Amino acid sequence: MVLLSMILLPVVVAPLAWIGEKFNRDFPKYLSLAVGVFLAFCTAFLIAKYPGNGFAFHEFYRIYSPFDFNLHLAVDGISLVLLGIVAFLAITVTLSSWHIERPGAYFFLILIFLGPMVGVFVSLNLLWFFIFWEFTLVPMFFHIGIWGAENRIYAAMKFFIYTHLASIFLLLGIIVLYLSTHTFEFGKLLNVQLDPSVAKLVWVLMFIGFAVKMPVVPFHTWLPDAHVQAPSPISVFLAGLLLKMGAYGLLRWEIFLFPQTSKFFAPLMAFIAVLTIFYAGFRALAEDHIKRMVAYSSINHMGFVLLGLSALTAAGISAAVYEMVGHALVISLLFMIAGYIHHKTHTWYISELGGIMKKIPGLMTMFVIGVLAAVGLPGTAGFVGELSVMLAAFDYYGWLMIIVPLASALSAGFFMWMLQRAVFGPLREEFKNLKSLTELPLIENIPLALYIGAFILVGVVPSLVFNLYNPVVNAFAQLFQ
Amino acid sequence: MNINYLAATMVLALTGAFLPVINRLFRISGIQGALISSIGYVVSLFLVLISDKGRHVLKGFFTTDPVSILVGALILVASWMVMLVVYWITEKDKFVNELISALMISTAGALLLLSANNFVSLAISMELMTMPTYLMVLFAFDDKSFEAGVKYFFNGALAVGFMLFGISLLYGMTGSFEFSALVKNLFADPLVALAAVFIFAGFGFKITAFPFHFWGPDVYDGTCPGVAALLTGISKSAAFIGLMRIVYEAIPVVAGHFTLILAIIAALTMTVGNLLALAQKRVSRILAYSSVAHAGYTLVAFAALSVPLSVTGIIYHSVAYVFMKTAAFLCFAVFLFVWGARTMDDYKGLGKREPLLGALFLIFLLSLAGVPPMAGFISKVFVFTAAVDAGMTWLALIGLLNSAFSVAYYIWIAKQMYLEEPTLEKPVNDSPNKNWILLPLAVMAVLLIVFGIWISPVVDTSAFYAAKVGF
Repeated sequence: MVLLSMILLPVVVAPLAWIGEKFNRDFPKYLSLAVGVFLAFCTAFLIAKYPGNGFAFHEFYRIYSPFDFNLHLAVDGISLVLLGIVAFLAITVTLSSWHIERPGAYFFLILIFLGPMVGVFVSLNLLWFFIFWEFTLVPMFFHIGIWGAENRIYAAMKFFIYTHLASIFLLLGIIVLYLSTHTFEFGKLLNVQLDPSVAKLVWVLMFIGFAVKMPVVPFHTWLPDAHVQAPSPISVFLAGLLLKMGAYGLLRWEIFLFPQTSKFFAPLMAFIAVLTIFYAGFRALAEDHIKRMVAYSSINHMGFVLLGLSALTAAGISAAVYEMVGHALVISLLFMIAGYIHHKTHTWYISELGGIMKKIPGLMTMFVIGVLAAVGLPGTAGFVGELSVMLAAFDYYGWLMIIVPLASALSAGFFMWMLQRAVFGPLREEFKNLKSLTELPLIENIPLALYIGAFILVGVVPSLVFNLYNPVVNAFAQLFQ
Repeated sequence: MNINYLAATMVLALTGAFLPVINRLFRISGIQGALISSIGYVVSLFLVLISDKGRHVLKGFFTTDPVSILVGALILVASWMVMLVVYWITEKDKFVNELISALMISTAGALLLLSANNFVSLAISMELMTMPTYLMVLFAFDDKSFEAGVKYFFNGALAVGFMLFGISLLYGMTGSFEFSALVKNLFADPLVALAAVFIFAGFGFKITAFPFHFWGPDVYDGTCPGVAALLTGISKSAAFIGLMRIVYEAIPVVAGHFTLILAIIAALTMTVGNLLALAQKRVSRILAYSSVAHAGYTLVAFAALSVPLSVTGIIYHSVAYVFMKTAAFLCFAVFLFVWGARTMDDYKGLGKREPLLGALFLIFLLSLAGVPPMAGFISKVFVFTAAVDAGMTWLALIGLLNSAFSVAYYIWIAKQMYLEEPTLEKPVNDSPNKNWILLPLAVMAVLLIVFGIWISPVVDTSAFYAAKVGF
């Protein structure tokens, strides 16, 4: 019942947020916080009771067996890590949205987003996975469209249509897979032998769906628009959860299910990954819009995730999952602070900023820490993630991967250059008497501190995360031998 | 003897027939009229639900099987909700009781059409379903509705003419009205093949398949939206089931020779519907062209008829369609009545003015677009799974791409409602008991979500029918 309640409870209590707003404006955010704490407690409970290997906490709800349309929920180490991210971000995003306008509708949408999001990570039935996957689009559409920046409507429409179009390919892949195997169950799909040509077709169709969500070049164009226009807390959800759905789907429903086919396509994945890393890196270098720059650096990191997955070794997959955690924590922090910088200086552009360290040292110190983590400073999650991905890729592809460390230098380049222009240096004239350029209130600092604490914690003690899913990954890695 | 199903249609039609009489005698109010009609609907629904499965009524003319009971019950519910909304939005001096009377008689015809088992009963029930709607289309009493009425009457007459001509040709050549007679002799004589073409053309008009779709949007747009809800939702779904009963008598022949034609018609219907819907400025026309596109999706399932899943596709899509399209038009009707909103520009910010109604409209639009967990999603899954199973992956891909692009105009309405600033300042008709009218729409939304997840009633029914026709 734990998993089902994690999916249903947020959705069921969501209307209360809308109704409760009329009586008490503060009610929706406390409700959302309570749900976030509930998710965190459930996840903690699951992690504590998790036996260490394989799937656990199976819940099976029969809906219609002849088509295998049954709700089968279970978690393994990888799902647990991602559930942890969901719960963590649910709390921090609620805190970051403490002073949002129209809180009733806003938190209503957050709550109906959280339920399916849990469902994506715990469903072992492919069709239910798709149902949860697809439904998350609806609340995101309204979040971007209603609470976004100037060009929000364009971004929301583009986001919805683009990702829905991608889901169509995923759905077609699911249909073809079902017709060849007559099952949607992960456990059963694991044991069927597919005709190689069918497997390749299914693999490509599903890969398009996942690649757009991740996103990787050349399917990434929705992301900068969506991120730039979305309110910062929603950017956190987009980067921290929505992109993880793509990577998780690729791992769970393609790499684990079709090891041989994945092996066949591994060079393609590696090529796309390296392309993504470099393309996004160069775009970020050229970008003047600070949030867009962070968005491209987010794509850059997802390239590392794909590179780790494409190695198809235990080390590579472990590294990729770790990089997902690091990305969720680090990029969330950067998005939040980029939003605050705009809020305080009324400009998005690096060329119009300068020296704001002098006015808001506290916030900017956190920004610098976040940037250093994103660049891969030892002691942070970014370092462990990138290093382990590079080692795994190097192990698998050999000297071909010698160019990847260059990308790290590239990312150090664009981040440091941005810091130098926007944060350090002499304070610009127009900021000297700007009233709005002040430190954040305490409540908004808490999530930022949480992000920093979390990525330093998992950076210093990576085994906290690795140990959860290593047995699972090792077991699946046998398939690639 | 299984008289319950027949009694259900009788109760419905007679309640409808006596409603205007009661009004003449006692001058009933709208609420009283709605109550009287509701009693008719409830009794009829009860009778449909208790009717025996797999029995004949009137010796081979009508048959009640799980398909007619399930779809019949759902059509009754949808029609009931239409009735409630129409009572609410139609002003009293506009012969509302006569309109409801026609609605109920037409629904009775749809019930009969669901169970028609040979060409005579098919023609009769189709006429019974269509005749009252000729009157209903004229009900807005303005120039546009006269134009729509004339257009609808001539197209309908043409369709019936085609169908009756086909049936009489068939009878002349084979001496039989059985559905199976058409199949057995299809290639025995070119005239029988011609009869089949005429009969299909008659259905093509009813379900607005390409190239017989031209009248649809004009009529749905010109008449009052409550009537359009009946025409697009209920009549079309019943016609789909009627067509299914003919086609599935003929699986070996049709599957061998006609799947490609059906597939091309399906592909054209959905593409034309979606492309034209994208270009529309009026919400009613968007819904109308989306109804053409949905006819295309159902035809995809028809084209896949060599596999049993296609039955599930047809029945599921009809079931989902009857709720989502009817309800979408009813939402439009309420918006039109309360705010006078017709065009996309009028819809700007309406979601902020009417949050609950807007949310319901959004559910129906998302279901039409095929977003889970609504029934419109799972029905599309079945339709396209059937197409892939039948070896027509290209058709499934066209359909899915169509479905993806159709999202653009559904979400465009959502965008107008929620993301834009309101343009309409004051409601045209501000009724104090507005929230009551949300109840029927909420019922339909709940049913859509329930049928989107609890799939066994529809799938079991389809499996029964598939077994009956020999899969």
